[in-house]
Amino acid sequence: MARRRPEQLVPYVLLLPAFLLLIGMLYPFCLGLYYSLTSYYLQYPHLFRVVWLGNYLALLTEPVFVYSVEFTVGYALVAVVIQVGLGLAVALFLHARIPGRSVLRAMMLMPLMMPPVITALMWKIMMASTNAGILNYGLSFVGIGPINWLGAVNSAMVSILIIDTWGNLPFVALILLGGLQSLPGEPYEAARVDGAAGWDVFRYITLPLLKPFIILAVTFRAMDALRIFDVIYATTLGGPADATMNLHMRAFFYAFQWYQMGTGMAYAVVLLALVFAASYVLMGYWRRAAERTAL
Amino acid sequence: MSGRAAFEERSAWRWVRGGGLVVAALVLVVWTILPFFWILITSLKEPRDMLSVPPTFVFRPTTENYEAIFIGRQRGLYASARPDFPRFFVNSVIISSGAVVLSVVAGVLAAYALARYTFPLKEQLAFLFLSFRFAPFITFLIPLYILYQRLGLYNTYLGLILAYQLITLPFTIWMLRSFFMEIPLEVEEAAKIDGCSWWGVLTRVILPLSLPGVAVTVILGFMFSWNAFNYPLMLAGRQTFPVTVGAIQFISYEQVLWGQMAAASLVAVVPQLLLSLLVQKYIVRGLTMGAVR
Amino acid sequence: MVTWTGRRLVAWLVVWLCLALGAGEAPPAAHAQDDASLAYFRQAKINWRQAEGQKLTIGLNKHPFTESLLPLIPQFERLSGIKVDYLILPEQEYFSKLVADLSQQRGEFTVIMTGPMRNWQYVTPGWIVPLDTFLNDPKLTDRAWYKLDDFYPALIAANRWSGKVGGGVGEGPLYSIPVLAESYILAYRKDLFDQYKIKVPTTMEEMVDAARLIKKNAGIDGIVARGTPSVSTVATGFISGIKSYTDGKWNELDDKLNPTFHDPRSVKFTQMWVDMMRESGPANWANMTWYDAMESFAAGQAGMIVDADFFAATYEDPKKSKVAGKVGYALVPSGSGGKPFAGLWTWALGMSKATKNKEAAWLFIQWATSPQTLLNATLEYRNYNPSRISVMTNPKVQQIMGAWGNGSYVKTQQENLKTARVAWVPHPERTRLGDIWARALHEIYFKRASAEEALKKASAEIDKVLVEVGLKK
Repeated sequence: MARRRPEQLVPYVLLLPAFLLLIGMLYPFCLGLYYSLTSYYLQYPHLFRVVWLGNYLALLTEPVFVYSVEFTVGYALVAVVIQVGLGLAVALFLHARIPGRSVLRAMMLMPLMMPPVITALMWKIMMASTNAGILNYGLSFVGIGPINWLGAVNSAMVSILIIDTWGNLPFVALILLGGLQSLPGEPYEAARVDGAAGWDVFRYITLPLLKPFIILAVTFRAMDALRIFDVIYATTLGGPADATMNLHMRAFFYAFQWYQMGTGMAYAVVLLALVFAASYVLMGYWRRAAERTAL
Repeated sequence: MSGRAAFEERSAWRWVRGGGLVVAALVLVVWTILPFFWILITSLKEPRDMLSVPPTFVFRPTTENYEAIFIGRQRGLYASARPDFPRFFVNSVIISSGAVVLSVVAGVLAAYALARYTFPLKEQLAFLFLSFRFAPFITFLIPLYILYQRLGLYNTYLGLILAYQLITLPFTIWMLRSFFMEIPLEVEEAAKIDGCSWWGVLTRVILPLSLPGVAVTVILGFMFSWNAFNYPLMLAGRQTFPVTVGAIQFISYEQVLWGQMAAASLVAVVPQLLLSLLVQKYIVRGLTMGAVR
Repeated sequence: MVTWTGRRLVAWLVVWLCLALGAGEAPPAAHAQDDASLAYFRQAKINWRQAEGQKLTIGLNKHPFTESLLPLIPQFERLSGIKVDYLILPEQEYFSKLVADLSQQRGEFTVIMTGPMRNWQYVTPGWIVPLDTFLNDPKLTDRAWYKLDDFYPALIAANRWSGKVGGGVGEGPLYSIPVLAESYILAYRKDLFDQYKIKVPTTMEEMVDAARLIKKNAGIDGIVARGTPSVSTVATGFISGIKSYTDGKWNELDDKLNPTFHDPRSVKFTQMWVDMMRESGPANWANMTWYDAMESFAAGQAGMIVDADFFAATYEDPKKSKVAGKVGYALVPSGSGGKPFAGLWTWALGMSKATKNKEAAWLFIQWATSPQTLLNATLEYRNYNPSRISVMTNPKVQQIMGAWGNGSYVKTQQENLKTARVAWVPHPERTRLGDIWARALHEIYFKRASAEEALKKASAEIDKVLVEVGLKK
């Protein structure tokens, strides 16, 4: 059923406040973009000149660049799948009529109430590699030896995922919970009348109706997982041996540690392009799903 | 299908499911609460106790960390004359509330336009709004710092609230858009027939029906603002630092005041907790939803 | 729509906010006491009020010295009539914000906290101002009262740089006034060394053996050290170790600015150090920060640590450490020459070039680094190690520091200061160089490359950087 309204200007007027608020940000963003096309060293102003794609070409010859792209994308894929999957499970759980529901929901939100920096620092202490850390201490009771959470190459990546999931699972769960609460009641009534089983209700009614929200959650988590920074900065600084060096960390090092704005911005722009591509694709899915569920 | 449904009705399955739910609840609670439990006991420990290997849960609790951040009274540990923490706290409240209010006002209007109208460049504009959240903060930070200095927005509440729109506005617009689109057209049509203008439809039909969605958006937006770190680090000065930047100040050059950092972090959780408790009741299934027909 | 519960919650929030605001007010300072201490400053034959009415913003990093200044700032304001605003951040965040401001020359920060290696980054683009003109101006500085020679000469020298890339530390303009002295010594668990009859190491090889013995006998890490892939890992114990090992004859850049990491002496030391970390060091060495290492030692989890000397203040404090009274202090193990060449760092106060009221800024620096202020910083706020001889030799200070390690701390620190000097070759890319160096250590630690290969790669990479920024042809 198509929706067509003849009033031409009303939507634009409605969009105006949001547009004005954000449009101011275009200038600094373009400036950042411009810097990526220059050789801009904060400490050597005399070296400033436009190099066009020179920074980007230099990136391609850097061995860490390829790895950081792989790690950035790979991490985002794994993180999104795990977090949205678990988030859906948690949302369904909180949606069900169980006792203590509101307490559980309020508690569920708590990880979001901690700034990522503090979360990362606290987890870092908990993840000490000896029994000084509460995680290893707890594991020692079940006979699992001390795990070198952050100090070994493979476990460091998993640890980052754990910290990130802890902090952001509530976000996904909350969006999906809100979605579940907004679903219309008729399909469920009809299903119950038909005597449909729980699993089938979920698969054929809940899941399709929830799709726009799932895709929304996937999109926001993908955008943030690609750009994850605070957790890595506070724990491994891109190590051990560049294992957790994603594009954002690399951009940070260049821009804020070594004061090379040109290369730093180039890294940032590459990351931006990845986020753009992912969101573009996901938004296409969202549009299709949203149109389909609009009854 | 009725066979499967019948199976699910059987009591044995019900017991298993009940047990499974309890286990799931337990895992969820432990997973979520463990770090908070850790932060809590850290905030009650003296520095020496924090070094225990293995970690101690039995120790002499002390309130000195909380005293230190609020009053600055330190029993010979680390004198701090004028604790800035209360001011950082107030800053956070002002900036986060301001950012969310502004985002919701602008966001509701924009989301309504995107949800209900069809017009040229609609999807492009929607994507444009989303795209402001793409850029890693690095691309913005130094240019934004320069711009703010020139415009006199540096170290001002207004400046921070505007910068925070980068965090909250795209999210708000898209969330609200999704929730608005859930509302059946018939309800709106009915209201229009009754003589409501678009404003009336918005305030009397759309918003009440999408209350769970608005509540969720407000809470999440508030929390994202509250916990922002990199923007206020660069764009704020001592007078406008929020708690996130304040909490990091417990890392000194010759020691880290974990106890005080933990205490400050816990105290900073309270407003968010209060807000989410307040808003909890709105995240309930609208009873009117099923009664459209 | 707002229910009774909602209203009650809001009311509590409001009450609490008021409490929070109220608690934030500082108690009014006691004027009578301050006038007495103002008298000390008025002894200086300068007019403190010559910049009256001006405003200063100071950028400080979180440090006992800066903490000591905070309660005294109203005193300075009363003395000089200058309005002072300040900003304090931990080191990393502080430098990010500082460089953003310095590079744009906005003048947001006037007086800044800096140090030798940082100065090298700021002098090249001309972001900071030499302080000699202010020191030599009798209208601004009373030399007799201020006593510049009361500072340890090595510290003043460290803050001088001629601007010549690759040399010239100790010559040229003085860019900042030191407020503390940091060098690097070996702290070890005397009780364990006594118990297992381990000799205090004086060479690198002995240290490797001692670490091994501690791990075997006491079951704790033989040695702990920083390990994050950043310059701070190599900047303290490691560089002191390698420079001592090579008797101060090896430098990471030769006089033509060629990186020399692949020099056999460097390769040998690096291999020994990394192997020692892998064998007897902490399992998560690769992400150990300075506080991880320090706290690990203070928790009794390690037998040795070669890092900042003033960490002793934490080790010896029973309220903060479990090894108080059990620690011994010794010089960094040396090479065949028998003398250590530990690194040196001083936090120091400098001035941004973009400062619009430089005289006011200098008055603040003079006030903040005066003998009285620095003595107060050390005595009341534990600012170690003092940069002024008078503060160091003050009986009360000696009493506190002399108790550490049963006197072995003061003895070691003073002995160390005789040969300690800035360990780095001066150039603006030191941070980048150090990051690459630390990264190479990771390669060796995780056995992805031999020490020789990893260091050769590091040399090539650093060479490329130096050429790219035009420091080297």
